[in-house]
Formats: sequence, C-alpha cells, structure tokens
Amino acid sequence: MSALGTAEAAALLYREALLLDRMAFDGWLDLYTADCLFWMPAWRDDGTQTDDPERELSLIYYRGRRNLEDRVQRIRSGFSVASAVMPRVSHMIGNVLAEAVDEATMRVDSAFIVHVQDLRSSRTHAYFGRYEHELRREGGDWKIAQKIIRLMNDVVPTMLDVYGI
Amino acid sequence: MTHSFALRDLIDDRPEDGVFRVNRTLFRDPDLFALEMKHVFEGGWVFVGLATQAENPNDYFTGFIGRVPIIVSRDGTGALRCFVNACPHKGVRLIQKLCGNASRHVCPYHSWTFDSAGANRNIKWQKAGRYGAGFDAENHDLAQVARFGEYRGFLFASLNPDVPSLEEHLGEARKLLDLVVDKSPEGVELVPGRVTFTYAANWKMQLENCSDQYHFTSTHPSYIRILDQRAREQASDVVQSSIAAADFWQEDAGGVTGGTMSFDHGHVLNWGVMPVAPSAPEFEHAETWAALHGTAKRNWMFNMRNLTIFPNLQIAENASSQMRVIRPIAHNLTEMQTWCIAPRGESAAARSFRIRQYEDFFNPTGMATPDDTVCYEEAQAGMAEQERPWLQGHARGLTASVMGGNGYADMIDLKPARSVLADAQLCDESLFGSYYRAWAARMAEVVA
Repeated sequence: MSALGTAEAAALLYREALLLDRMAFDGWLDLYTADCLFWMPAWRDDGTQTDDPERELSLIYYRGRRNLEDRVQRIRSGFSVASAVMPRVSHMIGNVLAEAVDEATMRVDSAFIVHVQDLRSSRTHAYFGRYEHELRREGGDWKIAQKIIRLMNDVVPTMLDVYGI
Repeated sequence: MTHSFALRDLIDDRPEDGVFRVNRTLFRDPDLFALEMKHVFEGGWVFVGLATQAENPNDYFTGFIGRVPIIVSRDGTGALRCFVNACPHKGVRLIQKLCGNASRHVCPYHSWTFDSAGANRNIKWQKAGRYGAGFDAENHDLAQVARFGEYRGFLFASLNPDVPSLEEHLGEARKLLDLVVDKSPEGVELVPGRVTFTYAANWKMQLENCSDQYHFTSTHPSYIRILDQRAREQASDVVQSSIAAADFWQEDAGGVTGGTMSFDHGHVLNWGVMPVAPSAPEFEHAETWAALHGTAKRNWMFNMRNLTIFPNLQIAENASSQMRVIRPIAHNLTEMQTWCIAPRGESAAARSFRIRQYEDFFNPTGMATPDDTVCYEEAQAGMAEQERPWLQGHARGLTASVMGGNGYADMIDLKPARSVLADAQLCDESLFGSYYRAWAARMAEVVA
C-alpha cells in the first residue's frame, strides 16, 4: 500500500467535514491518531501568526486526542450554555493540494469556509482560513495525525468551538 | 439627546435602608451609552496598554480611548507618548497597523508627515499653498492626549485634562498591580498572540463578571467536570490546571476562602485563597519571592486575584494570567482584547504551563469563556424588561461588607475603602457598588 493520491486525501478531509456538519463526534474522533496535534494559532499582529506553541499563545493547542474527547464531552455535557442550542454548520473545503512525505505520511493543504447558523442568537457567520493536515497510515487506515487551522477572521463573535472550524 | 437621565432612576443606592440596585436602563439605552462614551471613557483615566508593547525607540501601537483612535509611541529619545491617531489636516487615521516601528509617519491621504514624538515634520508644498495667517497660527502636530501616565509599565491616558493625578486615580489599587509586576525583577510582558472577541451585550456585563464569584460553579460546570477528571487522571497527555487544586470555589470548603475589596475610583478585587503548591505555574519562585517580598506578600502573589482598574482594565490571575481590555462599541456590543500576561524570564516549563491553562480557560475558543459570553448575551435580552426594571444582582454580601480592610489586607498593608471576607458560598456582589459609584461620579455632569 503506497501513499494516497490527491483525490483520496481530499476525501478524508471531506469525510471529517461531513462528520462535523452532522455533529457525529464519535466518528470525528475516530479519524484522529491518539497522539494527534490539533492546533489553531493566534495572530501576533496584523500579518504574522504565532508559531511556537510553547512560548506563544494559540487559540487552541492540543497534543493528544484525549483533549479533543474533553471538548466533545463538554459539548455533550448538558452543562454548557454555549453548547445548549447547537449551531448548524456547513464546512466547505477547496484548493486541496496533497503531497506524499513517505509511504505512510501525507501532507494536505486546503482552504476552508465554515458557515455557522447560530440559532440561539439568530446570527449567521462564516469562519474561513486554511487547513494543514498531516495524514498517517495506521494499520490499514489513514488517520489525521495533525490538523493546523489558520483562521483568517480571528475576531471571534462570542464563541467558537471545534465544530466551527 | 432625546431625553435626560436622573441618577435615582438608574442607581438605587440607599445604604441606610440596606438597598443597592441597578436599573436595566444602564445596559440597554443607546442614548445613555453615548453619554458613557463621552464621560466615562473619554472623560477620565483609561488603560491604554503596557510599556513593553512599545519597548524600543520608535516602536508604536494603536488603540482607542472611547471612540477616539490613539497611538502610543516611544519617541526617538525613548520617551513614551500618546496622541490622537488622526491627521490634523483631514482627520484621516494616520496609522492603520496594530503595532510597528517607524521614526516617521506619513498620512496616506495628502502626505503630511509626523515624527515618533507626534511633531509635524512636513506639510506637502506648504510654501506654494498660499495659506492664510489663520492656518500658520495653528498647531499642526498630532494632538497629544490631555493626560498620560505610567505606573510600573501600565499606561493610562485621559482625554479630559481635569482629572486627579494617575497616582490618586489608582490609589491603593497600585499595590495590587505590584503583586502582578513583582512576579519578576524584570516585570511583566504580554505573551505573543493577541485574542480579540466580541459579544452582543453591554460592556458592564464583562465589568461585573470578572468580579462575580457567584457564577463560577453555575456557569462553568462543564469545565469544572473536566478539571476534576484531569486532576484524577493526572495523565501526561492532558492539559493540567492549577485551579482544580484550589478550594475557594468548592461548595464544601470551610472558613474564609477569599473575599472582595473595593477601592476609590471604581477599582475592585475579587480574591480567593490558592495554595503555594506545584499546581501553580509560579511554584518554582515560591522561595525566591518569599525571600524578596516576605511570606505574606508571596502568598498573596499565589492567591486567585481578579482585579478591575475602572473602567476598562482587568487582570485575572487564577487558572493562568490574563490581561483584558474592555472596548465598548455600542450599548449592546462589546469588543474584548485579551492577552496572556506573564512574568519576564520565567522558565520555559512555567511559561508553557501558563499558556496551556490560559487557552482552555480564557479563550473564546476554549471551554469556559464561551459560557460567560453567552450568558452576557442572554442577560442583554432580558434587559428589555420594563415592568420590573431593577436588577436583583447587586445585593449579596451587603451586610457582610465593612469599611476598610481586614486581616488579609493588613498582611500586605493594603487599605481598601470596603471589604468582605467570605466563605465559599457568600459570593459578594456588594463590591459592584464601587463600579456604579465611580460610574456615577464620571457621569455627574449629565446624570444628576
């Protein structure tokens, strides 16, 4: 089994998007490796993003799927007012460029827009930016070992959770 | 103005009758908001930034005082200055960037040029311009703000010249800023990476929430459960938290767990006892700080402290350490500019720990702040009620509040105007009175 083609790599990103659109969080978590990196850097100033998570602030920085499980637990807990009326979301991914690093590793760059209908406040917003995925073959399956979310519109209207990016 | 306001209709302050109430009008009225911008934010001292944001000659950063765009600039000699970010020619905003370094600022519209001290260095084709005597007599420099001052790296400005000195404005609250700054001999800095968010509610919701101990276990149970779980697991691959080790918010904690203090001019502190323990990112300094500052001050430096310097600066030191700047946009829209504030020169491990805790707790993309901001918006919706306009949210602790300080304040020679010592369930709300009395003082010209 060799590295994925662009179409197959893109399909994995689309599957992630679909699971998030459906709020199917168990299936979403299954796409990630146990040691995954899930990282949304902050902006340092007008033009540059933070790039050293140990010394600079990120919007979200997790190493380990366990932390994403915490996020899902909070969303489902029934004790988070921000998660009480779940927004409706729709992910669009384009401009996919995939590159094989080795037989078991792919790097995938893409652009995203997530449209969010916030029912609670009757507001609609869009979050947009770029993804940098690293896909890794584990056994027979390809998993997400890294998702870097470069959010362009980072003035967050009230809140933003993992399903909105 | 469509109508005028009477103070008694807005704030019901009758200590002799055991009453302190705030009217919903303060949160929902656009005309009152316009007056607040002029008199609270553009009529007195406000926080504008940290000196370290413009560290070197010709460094600058931009911001706002109320609605007025400003530049804080370190001039060529190293002196900090603050001026209005608008060209005197046509009023065009001179600098559009958030921050940068430049010895000359050229207006993008007609090329009038200013130096980093705000002085006009060139008016394009001035000699050929056939100006009259009136123009020549005018000052063409950038407008300096009326008052500008620094306390230990914290920069404040006032567009109104008729204000007390900065020293008097901050008063005893300076000692609380000392607790933040003294964490390093080099002072504090902002961790790179600014996070900005908005919420669709009045700015005073944020003002109050920072000092509102009552909400914590109600608003954040989903986060608290995760903290509990992480504390039990102590796994290496989950984000750890120091707040889980504290008991100031635990319902069954006995005895004094913290309290509140309020100061003249609207500054308030909500504090809780936190252990001097490895769960704090600063534990590595426990011995050094005790030797430098004495045990009492050292212990205060470890305590949970949510400090407001009225009206727009909040420093929250609890799960991590956050500096927030409140920027009201409309009566029902507020922008929050937030940073992780940290002692300079701390170890790489402590800095990383501080940042990790910060992100989960304070970010609008984290697991706690979204539950706050959503509550602010839900409160804003309820502010429409007219039948019973007086809120019931400023009454807890009224009979526990005493003039002056207490034993805990005495430990660091702190002299608040009022204080409350609390167990875990008292959750004082009477400290909010300090905000509204300072608000009324700044609004006195238009709300009598």
